[in-house]
Amino acid sequence: MNALDYLQFVLAPQVVNGLALGVAVVLVALGLTIIFGLLDVINMSHGEFYAVGAYLALALGAAHIDFWLLIVLVPVLMLPLGMVTERLLIRPVFNTKDRHVTTLLVTFGLALIAEDVLKLIFGPNTQRPPTPIPGASEIFGIILPNYRLFLIAIGAVIVAGVAFVVYRTRLGAMVRAAAYDRNMAASLGVPVSLVYSGTFAFGVALAGLAGVLLAPIYSIFPTMGRDFILLAFTVVIVGGMGSIWGAVVAGLLLTQVQALASLVISPVWTDPIVFGTMVAFLVFRPQGLFGRLGHA
Amino acid sequence: MLDRLTLSMRASHVLAALLVVAALVLAVVGSAIGDTFYLRLATEALIFAGLALSVDLLLGYSGALSLGQALYFGIGAYTSALVLMKVPSFWLAMGAAAGMTFVCAIIGGLIANRVRGVYFALITFGLAQVVAKVVYNIRDLGASDGMIGIPVIDIGIGPFSVSAGNPVGFFLVVLVIIMALYAATAYLLDTPFGRVLTALKANEKRVPFLGYSVWRARMVCYLAAALIAGLSGALYPMLRGFVSPELMFFMTSGNAVISVILGGVGTLVGALYGSVFLVIIKSVIGSWTDHYLIIIGLLFMAGVLFMPKGLIGFVRPHVERMIAPRHLRETRAPEQDAPLKAEEVKP
Repeated sequence: MNALDYLQFVLAPQVVNGLALGVAVVLVALGLTIIFGLLDVINMSHGEFYAVGAYLALALGAAHIDFWLLIVLVPVLMLPLGMVTERLLIRPVFNTKDRHVTTLLVTFGLALIAEDVLKLIFGPNTQRPPTPIPGASEIFGIILPNYRLFLIAIGAVIVAGVAFVVYRTRLGAMVRAAAYDRNMAASLGVPVSLVYSGTFAFGVALAGLAGVLLAPIYSIFPTMGRDFILLAFTVVIVGGMGSIWGAVVAGLLLTQVQALASLVISPVWTDPIVFGTMVAFLVFRPQGLFGRLGHA
Repeated sequence: MLDRLTLSMRASHVLAALLVVAALVLAVVGSAIGDTFYLRLATEALIFAGLALSVDLLLGYSGALSLGQALYFGIGAYTSALVLMKVPSFWLAMGAAAGMTFVCAIIGGLIANRVRGVYFALITFGLAQVVAKVVYNIRDLGASDGMIGIPVIDIGIGPFSVSAGNPVGFFLVVLVIIMALYAATAYLLDTPFGRVLTALKANEKRVPFLGYSVWRARMVCYLAAALIAGLSGALYPMLRGFVSPELMFFMTSGNAVISVILGGVGTLVGALYGSVFLVIIKSVIGSWTDHYLIIIGLLFMAGVLFMPKGLIGFVRPHVERMIAPRHLRETRAPEQDAPLKAEEVKP
């Protein structure tokens, strides 16, 4: 095999598959990083919200609701869920001294419950919704499934949309102001309490959206949230807590590291390599690639 | 001079003594009616109580939440299993497990102690996940099946010998070891070093001004916690005759955290009670539904939100009042959190 063939038949598909996984991870990490950046809350139940989104899509899909409608409908349905979670579980402990640890523990408890409730309602078996866009296309001699191409495209659109809202709208300015200094933001008339629950709900809705989009590739099962959550946390740490661009760059970078490393070594060892990358980042740049939301 | 901290630790010791009495009663009753199942279950509860104790040492005293303490539990268990397959010696297995855990904890501690707060929690979580996944895929360690067929050993203690296959005998051996770990932890916290840890949790920024190295205190705490987890883990294969990667999974670490929260953070004895309590609920609720996690999750969230001191928080003040000398008995304990609440929490 010459170098060109290697490039075309081994390297390029690996890079593109890594890119699809990267977009998936970025979609999951996006909500996580926004919630952390604003509220300082590590949402351990984020993976379960992702699973809830996927199951909602499955249940509504069984009722013959079109996939394209689900992409809008599921996140909208997730909003009140996130709102209620923030009001009932985060708010009561938000002003205590150990709020990082306390909120992490509360959301961990929620994750336990959510996982078991999903198992109770939908059963423990793995289910796979039909691929909404079947077939494959050939690009530069590489054959790629259409749905993965669609995922990469819509992922880019979603990231751009979220970045636009956070960095270019009045609403986003309120969110960033509240993240930077909530007392000052409150005295300037920003409804901080509403911004908090709204942002939490927005992060949860993003997790649900990721669930709808990724279910056709990665299947649906009650513990599906666990598969992505470690990688998502890694992405959030490397990218900088709360940074959208950080999440994107770190997500794509780490999944490429994983994809390319698995060409050279046994896939078993790719996880330690990705984790090692995170440790290296923590050693040399503890604040992450891009720093925090609202801070610069 | 007896201060409040010493007093509450003494109350913990009284509760620990109560636990020992209860365990001895169980051992007598169990051996009288020839029970195996409940004694084995109680032994397992005690082994996981050791893991919970290590989580409480980190969370309750240095303020570091570890979401991956099962890593050292698993390392202890695998080392012990490997040694027992070659040489069926209890003391060799325990020694090897301690040594292996210690070496791994130095590496883990160097990584995890670079950061604090939630980052610490996430790093420990990640470390355990990554190592568990590697073990899950190494064929020499039994991969996903784990290792089975670990021989039943005889534990030589001086002139006596107890078989690990004897439910009562092994239960008592585990009881002695876990209580020894409890006592060692309590002793460690009573030394000047222990007070540095307590100071660390109260105000980390001021500790260096007093001339103590924060990093060193955190590291020693981390190593001690890892050793406790490793030694507890080393007992596991002797009880069950197998080890599996599940011992390192997040669920194991998570259960230890749940035990600590339900029992009471920063009380040491709460970790032991919490672990026993968790095993009891699991087997009681588990006998009529598979979905016991919903109930445990609800209890856990209620514990975090409404009872920050856990079960022990209800009982220990009464014990304190009973054992307190007169000059401490009349005055009410000052609200410890009050001055800290006033401080603005920096985002």
